[in-house]
Amino acid sequence: MYEGLFLIDNTHASMEWDNVVKHIHDILQKNGAEILKTEKWGEKKLAYKIKGHKRGTYLLIHFNTKSGAITAIKRDFQLSDYIIRSLIVKDDKIEEVSQIGVIEPIPARNTGATPEIKDAELLEKTDMAINVTGEA
Amino acid sequence: MSKKRFNRTSKCRFCRMGVEELDYKDTQNLVKLTTNQGKLFSRKRSGNCAHHQHSVKLSVKRARFMALLPYVA
Ligand SMILES: [Zn+2]
Repeated sequence: MYEGLFLIDNTHASMEWDNVVKHIHDILQKNGAEILKTEKWGEKKLAYKIKGHKRGTYLLIHFNTKSGAITAIKRDFQLSDYIIRSLIVKDDKIEEVSQIGVIEPIPARNTGATPEIKDAELLEKTDMAINVTGEA
Repeated sequence: MSKKRFNRTSKCRFCRMGVEELDYKDTQNLVKLTTNQGKLFSRKRSGNCAHHQHSVKLSVKRARFMALLPYVA
């Protein structure tokens, strides 16, 4: 199973969304892919500007195909005028991956000048904590 | 199906949570695993095991490529 994420030019996304989706499906099907799921993420602000674009619309597609077809698929997407950027990832564990839940953030460290020493301290504390629970 | 690594005393948060792999699309969680400047935490700092540090690194890099996360803040 493959997962493709496509970043689509907003002008096209707002004017002719159905065309864009059909265009992407056509490229996939032309290369022998079976489309399993298509999901629109909607319009989002980009983390950085790409070719002058500040915003874009994301489209997520799950599909099956022979591994040999991926190179051709990637090339076709690169030539597309609608797509700013695309990423295709092989993923056999998509269902599992989407069920991670909430991750505890790494606590902010005091903006001190000696990070190495603080790292060492942190490590020592964790080691000690583990030893204590291990013995108990 | 897949055997979940679960260890209460593990230093690695993902081993403790029983998470196999991270998802590059999970921006809300990935952002917590990077510094304010959008950089990755070192393995030492994050406490992640080799497997999960690799998974975090790959996911953050993919997310950056798709402009879901910044390269620099
Ligand atoms: Zn781990």
